[in-house]
Amino acid sequence: MARALAPFALLALTWTSACVTVRPVERARLADPIMQFDGDPVAAARARHVLENREGSMGGAGVAGGGCGCN
Amino acid sequence: MRSRGPLLAASLAAAGCVSSVEASAAAQTATAETTHTLYAESPTRTRMLVYTPGGSVKVDPTGWLGLRVAYEADVVSGATVAVKAGGAYQRNNPAADVVTTASVRDLRSLATGAVSLRHEDVTFTTSYAYSTERDYRSHSINPAIRTDVYGHNTQLEISWAKSIDEVCDRVQGTSDAVTRRRALEDATGCFTKDPLRTGRDLGVDGFQGSWSQSWTPILATQIVYTAQLIHGFQSNPYRSVIVAQGLRAQEHHPEDRARHALAVRANLYLKPIKGALRLMLRAYRDTWDLRSGTAELEFERYFGEALRASLRGRIYRQSGALFFSDDYTGGDPPAGPKGAYFSGDRELSPFTSALGGVRATYTFRPREGRLLGLARDARASGTLDVIGFSYDEFTLGGAPIENARALVAGLSLAASF
Repeated sequence: MARALAPFALLALTWTSACVTVRPVERARLADPIMQFDGDPVAAARARHVLENREGSMGGAGVAGGGCGCN
Repeated sequence: MRSRGPLLAASLAAAGCVSSVEASAAAQTATAETTHTLYAESPTRTRMLVYTPGGSVKVDPTGWLGLRVAYEADVVSGATVAVKAGGAYQRNNPAADVVTTASVRDLRSLATGAVSLRHEDVTFTTSYAYSTERDYRSHSINPAIRTDVYGHNTQLEISWAKSIDEVCDRVQGTSDAVTRRRALEDATGCFTKDPLRTGRDLGVDGFQGSWSQSWTPILATQIVYTAQLIHGFQSNPYRSVIVAQGLRAQEHHPEDRARHALAVRANLYLKPIKGALRLMLRAYRDTWDLRSGTAELEFERYFGEALRASLRGRIYRQSGALFFSDDYTGGDPPAGPKGAYFSGDRELSPFTSALGGVRATYTFRPREGRLLGLARDARASGTLDVIGFSYDEFTLGGAPIENARALVAGLSLAASF
Protein backbone atom coordinates (compact mmCIF):
# COMPACT_ATOMS: atom_id res chain seq x y z
CA MET A 1 0.00 0.00 0.00
CA ALA A 2 2.75 2.40 1.03
CA ARG A 3 4.66 1.62 -2.16
CA ALA A 4 1.57 2.31 -4.27
CA LEU A 5 1.07 5.67 -2.60
CA ALA A 6 4.71 6.73 -2.80
CA PRO A 7 4.59 8.14 -6.38
CA PHE A 8 1.48 10.17 -5.53
CA ALA A 9 3.11 11.48 -2.37
CA LEU A 10 6.16 12.48 -4.40
CA LEU A 11 4.00 14.25 -6.96
CA ALA A 12 2.13 16.06 -4.21
CA LEU A 13 5.37 17.16 -2.58
CA THR A 14 6.76 18.34 -5.92
CA TRP A 15 3.59 20.30 -6.62
CA THR A 16 3.82 21.81 -3.13
CA SER A 17 7.42 22.80 -3.75
CA ALA A 18 6.37 24.60 -6.92
CA CYS A 19 4.24 26.89 -4.76
CA VAL A 20 7.21 27.77 -2.55
CA THR A 21 8.69 31.09 -3.48
CA VAL A 22 11.80 32.28 -1.76
CA ARG A 23 12.62 35.36 -3.76
CA PRO A 24 16.20 35.99 -4.90
CA VAL A 25 16.50 38.93 -2.53
CA GLU A 26 15.65 36.58 0.37
CA ARG A 27 18.25 33.97 -0.50
CA ALA A 28 21.29 35.52 1.21
CA ARG A 29 21.18 33.19 4.22
CA LEU A 30 20.42 30.13 2.13
CA ALA A 31 23.51 30.94 0.06
CA ASP A 32 25.74 31.19 3.13
CA PRO A 33 28.41 28.44 3.24
CA ILE A 34 27.06 27.16 6.57
CA MET A 35 23.67 26.45 4.93
CA GLN A 36 25.01 24.33 2.08
CA PHE A 37 24.33 20.59 1.88
CA ASP A 38 27.56 20.10 -0.07
CA GLY A 39 29.52 23.07 1.18
CA ASP A 40 32.80 21.17 1.47
CA PRO A 41 32.55 18.12 -0.80
CA VAL A 42 36.20 17.12 -0.43
CA ALA A 43 36.04 16.99 3.38
CA ALA A 44 32.66 15.26 3.20
CA ALA A 45 34.04 12.59 0.86
CA ARG A 46 36.95 11.97 3.26
CA ALA A 47 34.62 11.59 6.22
CA ARG A 48 32.41 9.24 4.20
CA HIS A 49 35.44 7.16 3.18
CA VAL A 50 36.41 6.71 6.84
CA LEU A 51 32.93 5.77 8.02
CA GLU A 52 32.09 3.45 5.13
CA ASN A 53 35.23 1.46 5.86
CA ARG A 54 34.22 0.97 9.48
CA GLU A 55 30.48 0.42 9.03
CA GLY A 56 28.33 -2.01 7.09
CA SER A 57 26.25 0.77 5.53
CA MET A 58 26.65 3.34 2.78
CA GLY A 59 24.68 5.89 0.82
CA GLY A 60 22.62 8.96 1.35
CA ALA A 61 25.43 11.23 0.22
CA GLY A 62 27.38 9.88 -2.76
CA VAL A 63 27.75 6.84 -4.98
CA ALA A 64 31.12 7.31 -6.65
CA GLY A 65 33.55 4.42 -6.32
CA GLY A 66 37.29 4.33 -6.10
CA GLY A 67 38.99 1.48 -4.36
CA CYS A 68 38.78 -0.92 -1.53
CA GLY A 69 40.33 0.56 1.59
CA CYS A 70 39.17 -2.68 3.19
CA ASN A 71 41.87 -3.07 5.84
CA MET B 1 42.40 42.14 -22.03
CA ARG B 2 42.19 39.54 -19.29
CA SER B 3 45.23 38.61 -17.28
CA ARG B 4 46.51 35.12 -17.98
CA GLY B 5 48.18 34.96 -14.54
CA PRO B 6 45.39 33.17 -12.69
CA LEU B 7 44.98 30.45 -15.30
CA LEU B 8 48.73 30.02 -15.53
CA ALA B 9 48.84 29.58 -11.76
CA ALA B 10 46.05 27.01 -11.99
CA SER B 11 47.93 25.14 -14.69
CA LEU B 12 51.01 25.03 -12.48
CA ALA B 13 48.90 23.71 -9.64
CA ALA B 14 47.47 21.03 -11.89
CA ALA B 15 50.99 20.01 -12.74
CA GLY B 16 51.75 19.64 -9.04
CA CYS B 17 54.01 22.68 -8.88
CA VAL B 18 51.97 24.37 -6.16
CA SER B 19 49.57 22.90 -3.70
CA SER B 20 46.72 25.34 -3.57
CA VAL B 21 45.56 27.84 -6.13
CA GLU B 22 42.29 29.34 -7.17
CA ALA B 23 42.06 31.74 -10.05
CA SER B 24 39.27 33.91 -11.27
CA ALA B 25 38.77 36.33 -14.10
CA ALA B 26 35.20 37.13 -15.06
CA ALA B 27 33.79 33.78 -16.24
CA GLN B 28 37.15 32.11 -15.77
CA THR B 29 37.63 30.43 -12.42
CA ALA B 30 40.15 27.94 -11.16
CA THR B 31 40.11 26.37 -7.72
CA ALA B 32 42.67 24.14 -6.04
CA GLU B 33 42.81 22.56 -2.63
CA THR B 34 45.08 20.33 -0.61
CA THR B 35 43.77 18.15 2.20
CA HIS B 36 45.46 15.87 4.70
CA THR B 37 43.70 13.37 6.92
CA LEU B 38 45.06 11.10 9.63
CA TYR B 39 43.10 8.11 10.94
CA ALA B 40 44.38 6.24 13.99
CA GLU B 41 42.94 3.41 16.05
CA SER B 42 44.39 0.69 18.25
CA PRO B 43 41.67 -1.56 19.65
CA THR B 44 42.39 -4.96 21.19
CA ARG B 45 45.20 -6.75 19.32
CA THR B 46 45.01 -4.62 16.19
CA ARG B 47 45.99 -1.13 15.18
CA MET B 48 45.59 1.01 12.08
CA LEU B 49 47.21 4.24 10.98
CA VAL B 50 46.11 5.77 7.69
CA TYR B 51 47.50 9.04 6.34
CA THR B 52 45.56 10.44 3.39
CA PRO B 53 47.10 13.36 1.53
CA GLY B 54 45.30 14.76 -1.47
CA GLY B 55 45.03 17.66 -3.84
CA SER B 56 42.55 18.87 -6.42
CA VAL B 57 42.32 21.58 -9.05
CA LYS B 58 39.07 22.77 -10.55
CA VAL B 59 39.03 25.06 -13.57
CA ASP B 60 36.07 26.80 -15.17
CA PRO B 61 37.56 28.25 -18.37
CA THR B 62 34.16 29.42 -19.60
CA GLY B 63 30.70 29.78 -18.14
CA TRP B 64 29.55 26.49 -19.63
CA LEU B 65 32.55 24.25 -18.99
CA GLY B 66 34.15 22.97 -15.80
CA LEU B 67 37.16 20.68 -15.40
CA ARG B 68 38.48 19.00 -12.28
CA VAL B 69 41.44 16.77 -11.54
CA ALA B 70 42.24 15.27 -8.16
CA TYR B 71 44.63 12.85 -6.57
CA GLU B 72 44.65 11.27 -3.16
CA ALA B 73 46.49 8.43 -1.47
CA ASP B 74 45.94 6.21 1.55
CA VAL B 75 49.22 5.37 3.24
CA VAL B 76 48.29 2.43 5.45
CA SER B 77 50.21 0.71 8.22
CA GLY B 78 49.06 -1.41 11.09
CA ALA B 79 48.01 -4.88 12.10
CA THR B 80 44.72 -6.61 11.31
CA VAL B 81 43.08 -9.89 12.24
CA ALA B 82 44.38 -12.69 9.98
CA VAL B 83 42.62 -15.64 11.62
CA LYS B 84 39.30 -15.05 13.39
CA ALA B 85 37.88 -17.48 15.92
CA GLY B 86 35.01 -17.24 18.35
CA GLY B 87 34.71 -17.81 22.06
CA ALA B 88 33.38 -21.39 21.85
CA TYR B 89 36.36 -22.54 19.80
CA GLN B 90 38.80 -20.82 22.15
CA ARG B 91 37.19 -22.50 25.16
CA ASN B 92 37.63 -25.90 23.48
CA ASN B 93 41.28 -25.09 22.78
CA PRO B 94 42.37 -23.24 25.91
CA ALA B 95 46.06 -23.88 25.41
CA ALA B 96 46.23 -22.26 21.96
CA ASP B 97 46.03 -18.63 20.93
CA VAL B 98 43.65 -19.27 18.04
CA VAL B 99 43.39 -15.66 16.86
CA THR B 100 46.32 -14.28 14.90
CA THR B 101 47.08 -10.89 13.43
CA ALA B 102 49.23 -9.79 10.52
CA SER B 103 51.08 -6.60 9.71
CA VAL B 104 49.64 -4.43 6.95
CA ARG B 105 51.48 -1.93 4.81
CA ASP B 106 49.83 -0.58 1.71
CA LEU B 107 49.46 2.43 -0.52
CA ARG B 108 46.20 3.22 -2.27
CA SER B 109 46.34 5.83 -5.02
CA LEU B 110 43.21 7.41 -6.45
CA ALA B 111 43.24 9.72 -9.47
CA THR B 112 40.03 11.42 -10.60
CA GLY B 113 39.13 13.56 -13.60
CA ALA B 114 35.76 15.25 -14.14
CA VAL B 115 34.09 17.38 -16.81
CA SER B 116 31.02 19.54 -16.23
CA LEU B 117 28.84 21.09 -18.92
CA ARG B 118 26.36 23.80 -17.98
CA HIS B 119 23.44 25.16 -19.95
CA GLU B 120 21.15 27.60 -18.20
CA ASP B 121 19.93 25.75 -15.08
CA VAL B 122 21.16 22.30 -16.05
CA THR B 123 24.58 20.89 -15.22
CA PHE B 124 25.88 17.60 -16.57
CA THR B 125 28.95 16.18 -14.88
CA THR B 126 30.83 13.01 -15.59
CA SER B 127 33.90 11.76 -13.81
CA TYR B 128 36.34 8.92 -14.13
CA ALA B 129 38.40 7.53 -11.26
CA TYR B 130 41.22 5.02 -11.23
CA SER B 131 42.32 3.53 -7.96
CA THR B 132 45.13 1.10 -7.42
CA GLU B 133 46.64 -0.82 -4.54
CA ARG B 134 49.07 -3.73 -4.57
CA ASP B 135 46.10 -6.08 -4.30
CA TYR B 136 43.17 -4.06 -5.68
CA ARG B 137 42.32 -2.15 -8.87
CA SER B 138 39.28 -0.08 -9.63
CA HIS B 139 37.93 1.82 -12.64
CA SER B 140 34.86 3.99 -11.99
CA ILE B 141 32.68 6.32 -14.00
CA ASN B 142 30.10 8.58 -12.43
CA PRO B 143 27.80 10.64 -14.69
CA ALA B 144 25.33 12.98 -13.00
CA ILE B 145 22.79 15.56 -14.11
CA ARG B 146 21.40 18.35 -11.98
CA THR B 147 18.79 21.01 -12.61
CA ASP B 148 17.45 24.03 -10.75
CA VAL B 149 13.73 24.66 -11.09
CA TYR B 150 11.02 26.84 -9.57
CA GLY B 151 13.18 29.95 -9.31
CA HIS B 152 16.21 28.06 -7.96
CA ASN B 153 14.19 26.94 -4.95
CA THR B 154 14.32 23.30 -6.06
CA GLN B 155 17.33 21.27 -7.14
CA LEU B 156 16.95 17.79 -8.58
CA GLU B 157 19.91 15.52 -9.26
CA ILE B 158 20.32 11.98 -10.46
CA SER B 159 23.57 10.12 -10.82
CA TRP B 160 24.84 6.70 -11.70
CA ALA B 161 28.15 5.12 -10.82
CA LYS B 162 29.77 2.07 -12.33
CA SER B 163 32.87 0.47 -10.89
CA ILE B 164 34.79 -2.38 -12.44
CA ASP B 165 37.14 -3.70 -9.79
CA GLU B 166 39.60 -6.55 -9.48
CA VAL B 167 40.76 -8.11 -6.22
CA CYS B 168 43.94 -10.14 -5.97
CA ASP B 169 43.51 -13.64 -4.59
CA ARG B 170 45.41 -16.84 -4.19
CA VAL B 171 44.75 -19.47 -6.83
CA GLN B 172 42.35 -21.96 -5.24
CA GLY B 173 41.77 -25.55 -6.21
CA THR B 174 38.87 -25.73 -8.65
CA SER B 175 37.33 -28.66 -6.85
CA ASP B 176 37.93 -27.30 -3.36
CA ALA B 177 34.93 -26.69 -1.15
CA VAL B 178 34.81 -23.17 0.26
CA THR B 179 35.90 -24.53 3.61
CA ARG B 180 39.13 -25.73 1.98
CA ARG B 181 40.06 -22.37 0.47
CA ARG B 182 43.15 -20.76 1.89
CA ALA B 183 43.65 -17.06 2.49
CA LEU B 184 46.05 -14.91 0.48
CA GLU B 185 49.36 -14.74 2.35
CA ASP B 186 50.54 -11.37 1.00
CA ALA B 187 50.38 -9.20 -2.10
CA THR B 188 53.55 -10.56 -3.66
CA GLY B 189 52.90 -11.49 -7.29
CA CYS B 190 49.49 -9.81 -7.47
CA PHE B 191 48.53 -8.62 -10.97
CA THR B 192 51.57 -10.28 -12.50
CA LYS B 193 51.94 -13.58 -14.32
CA ASP B 194 52.59 -15.35 -11.03
CA PRO B 195 50.82 -18.73 -11.39
CA LEU B 196 49.87 -18.68 -7.70
CA ARG B 197 47.91 -15.44 -8.02
CA THR B 198 44.65 -14.61 -9.73
CA GLY B 199 42.26 -11.67 -10.01
CA ARG B 200 38.68 -11.89 -8.73
CA ASP B 201 36.12 -9.58 -10.33
CA LEU B 202 33.93 -7.16 -8.42
CA GLY B 203 31.34 -4.98 -10.11
CA VAL B 204 29.44 -2.14 -8.48
CA ASP B 205 26.48 -0.23 -9.92
CA GLY B 206 25.20 2.73 -7.98
CA PHE B 207 22.21 4.99 -8.50
CA GLN B 208 21.33 8.11 -6.59
CA GLY B 209 18.55 10.66 -6.74
CA SER B 210 18.26 13.77 -4.62
CA TRP B 211 15.78 16.57 -4.15
CA SER B 212 16.88 19.74 -2.38
CA GLN B 213 14.28 22.34 -1.49
CA SER B 214 14.37 25.85 -0.07
CA TRP B 215 11.16 26.30 1.90
CA THR B 216 11.73 29.66 3.56
CA PRO B 217 14.64 32.15 3.63
CA ILE B 218 16.13 30.18 6.55
CA LEU B 219 15.06 26.57 5.98
CA ALA B 220 16.18 24.06 3.36
CA THR B 221 15.73 20.31 3.18
CA GLN B 222 17.17 17.49 1.11
CA ILE B 223 16.07 13.92 0.46
CA VAL B 224 18.60 11.47 -0.99
CA TYR B 225 17.95 7.91 -2.10
CA THR B 226 20.89 5.66 -2.92
CA ALA B 227 20.86 2.15 -4.35
CA GLN B 228 23.88 -0.02 -4.99
CA LEU B 229 24.19 -3.44 -6.60
CA ILE B 230 27.39 -5.35 -5.99
CA HIS B 231 28.39 -8.55 -7.71
CA GLY B 232 31.60 -10.47 -7.23
CA PHE B 233 34.26 -11.18 -4.67
CA GLN B 234 33.43 -9.24 -1.50
CA SER B 235 35.52 -11.04 1.10
CA ASN B 236 38.82 -9.91 2.56
CA PRO B 237 41.22 -12.29 0.74
CA TYR B 238 43.73 -12.18 3.60
CA ARG B 239 41.33 -13.16 6.38
CA SER B 240 40.66 -16.70 7.57
CA VAL B 241 37.90 -17.92 9.84
CA ILE B 242 38.00 -20.99 12.06
CA VAL B 243 35.04 -23.04 10.79
CA ALA B 244 35.60 -26.39 12.50
CA GLN B 245 38.05 -28.10 14.84
CA GLY B 246 41.49 -27.54 13.38
CA LEU B 247 40.09 -26.12 10.12
CA ARG B 248 40.43 -22.55 8.98
CA ALA B 249 39.16 -21.25 5.67
CA GLN B 250 39.31 -18.03 3.72
CA GLU B 251 36.45 -15.70 4.62
CA HIS B 252 33.46 -16.43 2.38
CA HIS B 253 30.81 -13.77 1.71
CA PRO B 254 27.84 -13.98 -0.69
CA GLU B 255 28.64 -12.72 -4.21
CA ASP B 256 25.58 -10.50 -4.57
CA ARG B 257 24.44 -7.61 -2.43
CA ALA B 258 21.77 -4.99 -3.08
CA ARG B 259 21.90 -1.97 -0.80
CA HIS B 260 19.41 0.84 -0.24
CA ALA B 261 19.72 4.03 1.79
CA LEU B 262 17.35 6.93 2.31
CA ALA B 263 18.61 10.10 3.96
CA VAL B 264 16.76 13.25 4.97
CA ARG B 265 18.56 16.49 5.80
CA ALA B 266 17.36 19.80 7.13
CA ASN B 267 19.38 23.01 7.50
CA LEU B 268 18.00 25.81 9.64
CA TYR B 269 19.61 29.25 9.83
CA LEU B 270 19.58 30.76 13.33
CA LYS B 271 19.52 34.47 12.64
CA PRO B 272 20.09 35.84 16.19
CA ILE B 273 23.40 34.01 16.58
CA LYS B 274 24.44 33.92 12.93
CA GLY B 275 24.65 30.16 12.94
CA ALA B 276 23.08 27.09 11.40
CA LEU B 277 21.72 23.84 12.71
CA ARG B 278 22.06 20.83 10.40
CA LEU B 279 20.22 17.57 10.97
CA MET B 280 20.60 14.30 9.05
CA LEU B 281 18.66 11.08 9.48
CA ARG B 282 19.41 7.97 7.42
CA ALA B 283 17.89 4.51 7.16
CA TYR B 284 19.74 1.67 5.42
CA ARG B 285 18.94 -1.92 4.48
CA ASP B 286 20.53 -4.50 2.25
CA THR B 287 19.96 -8.05 1.03
CA TRP B 288 22.42 -9.41 3.58
CA ASP B 289 19.71 -8.25 6.02
CA LEU B 290 22.00 -5.65 7.52
CA ARG B 291 19.93 -2.70 8.70
CA SER B 292 21.09 0.54 10.20
CA GLY B 293 19.94 3.92 11.39
CA THR B 294 22.01 7.09 11.60
CA ALA B 295 21.29 10.42 13.26
CA GLU B 296 23.65 13.35 12.94
CA LEU B 297 23.36 16.86 14.31
CA GLU B 298 25.77 19.68 13.62
CA PHE B 299 25.82 23.25 14.81
CA GLU B 300 27.99 25.84 13.10
CA ARG B 301 28.28 29.53 13.73
CA TYR B 302 30.42 32.53 12.87
CA PHE B 303 32.82 34.23 15.25
CA GLY B 304 33.36 37.50 13.47
CA GLU B 305 33.57 37.72 9.70
CA ALA B 306 36.40 35.29 9.07
CA LEU B 307 36.12 32.45 11.57
CA ARG B 308 33.42 29.86 11.80
CA ALA B 309 33.38 26.77 13.98
CA SER B 310 31.16 23.76 14.31
CA LEU B 311 30.34 20.98 16.72
CA ARG B 312 28.86 17.73 15.53
CA GLY B 313 27.56 14.53 16.99
CA ARG B 314 26.56 11.32 15.25
CA ILE B 315 24.96 8.12 16.47
CA TYR B 316 24.98 5.00 14.33
CA ARG B 317 23.39 1.63 15.07
CA GLN B 318 23.43 -1.44 12.84
CA SER B 319 22.19 -5.01 13.03
CA GLY B 320 24.46 -7.79 11.89
CA ALA B 321 24.41 -9.46 8.52
CA LEU B 322 22.13 -12.49 8.39
CA PHE B 323 25.06 -14.89 8.19
CA PHE B 324 27.24 -13.21 10.81
CA SER B 325 28.27 -15.32 13.75
CA ASP B 326 31.06 -14.78 16.24
CA ASP B 327 31.79 -18.52 16.10
CA TYR B 328 31.12 -20.65 13.03
CA THR B 329 32.17 -23.95 14.57
CA GLY B 330 29.51 -26.42 15.63
CA GLY B 331 28.08 -27.12 12.19
CA ASP B 332 28.05 -30.49 10.46
CA PRO B 333 31.24 -32.39 11.34
CA PRO B 334 33.95 -32.69 10.31
CA ALA B 335 34.14 -29.56 8.16
CA GLY B 336 31.32 -27.42 9.54
CA PRO B 337 30.59 -24.57 9.45
CA LYS B 338 27.33 -23.15 10.71
CA GLY B 339 25.71 -21.76 7.57
CA ALA B 340 26.88 -21.35 4.00
CA TYR B 341 28.87 -18.15 4.54
CA PHE B 342 31.38 -17.14 7.19
CA SER B 343 32.93 -13.81 8.02
CA GLY B 344 35.49 -12.37 10.36
CA ASP B 345 34.49 -8.83 9.49
CA ARG B 346 33.47 -6.75 12.49
CA GLU B 347 31.73 -4.31 10.10
CA LEU B 348 29.14 -7.04 9.48
CA SER B 349 28.44 -7.62 13.18
CA PRO B 350 25.85 -5.74 15.21
CA PHE B 351 27.30 -2.65 16.87
CA THR B 352 26.74 0.94 17.86
CA SER B 353 29.10 3.80 17.17
CA ALA B 354 29.14 7.37 18.38
CA LEU B 355 31.06 10.25 16.86
CA GLY B 356 31.86 13.65 18.30
CA GLY B 357 33.78 16.25 16.36
CA VAL B 358 34.83 19.86 16.02
CA ARG B 359 35.72 21.86 12.96
CA ALA B 360 37.07 25.36 12.47
CA THR B 361 37.39 27.30 9.23
CA TYR B 362 39.20 30.60 8.76
CA THR B 363 38.83 32.61 5.59
CA PHE B 364 41.42 35.22 4.66
CA ARG B 365 39.81 37.82 2.43
CA PRO B 366 41.71 41.08 1.86
CA ARG B 367 39.61 44.24 1.93
CA GLU B 368 41.37 45.43 -1.20
CA GLY B 369 43.83 43.93 -3.61
CA ARG B 370 44.99 40.35 -3.42
CA LEU B 371 46.85 38.28 -0.84
CA LEU B 372 50.55 38.22 -1.72
CA GLY B 373 49.58 40.13 -4.81
CA LEU B 374 47.87 37.07 -6.26
CA ALA B 375 45.27 35.49 -4.00
CA ARG B 376 41.72 36.76 -3.98
CA ASP B 377 41.11 34.85 -0.75
CA ALA B 378 42.37 31.82 1.11
CA ARG B 379 40.81 29.31 3.44
CA ALA B 380 42.20 27.01 6.13
CA SER B 381 40.15 24.47 8.02
CA GLY B 382 40.86 21.82 10.59
CA THR B 383 38.74 18.97 11.90
CA LEU B 384 39.03 16.56 14.78
CA ASP B 385 36.64 13.62 15.21
CA VAL B 386 36.58 10.89 17.83
CA ILE B 387 34.61 7.74 17.04
CA GLY B 388 33.77 5.05 19.59
CA PHE B 389 32.55 1.58 18.65
CA SER B 390 30.68 -0.84 20.89
CA TYR B 391 30.40 -4.35 19.47
CA ASP B 392 27.53 -6.54 20.66
CA GLU B 393 28.83 -9.95 19.55
CA PHE B 394 32.18 -9.65 17.81
CA THR B 395 35.06 -11.01 19.85
CA LEU B 396 38.57 -12.26 19.24
CA GLY B 397 38.49 -15.79 20.62
CA GLY B 398 35.93 -14.72 23.20
CA ALA B 399 37.83 -11.58 24.21
CA PRO B 400 35.69 -8.51 23.59
CA ILE B 401 37.10 -5.64 21.55
CA GLU B 402 38.12 -2.95 23.97
CA ASN B 403 39.37 0.57 23.34
CA ALA B 404 37.59 0.56 19.98
CA ARG B 405 38.07 4.25 19.45
CA ALA B 406 39.35 6.03 16.39
CA LEU B 407 40.81 9.49 16.06
CA VAL B 408 40.40 11.31 12.76
CA ALA B 409 42.20 14.62 12.19
CA GLY B 410 42.00 16.66 9.02
CA LEU B 411 43.59 19.79 7.60
CA SER B 412 42.53 21.57 4.44
CA LEU B 413 44.16 24.56 2.74
CA ALA B 414 42.81 26.48 -0.22
CA ALA B 415 43.25 29.88 -1.76
CA SER B 416 41.60 31.84 -4.52
CA PHE B 417 43.49 34.06 -6.92
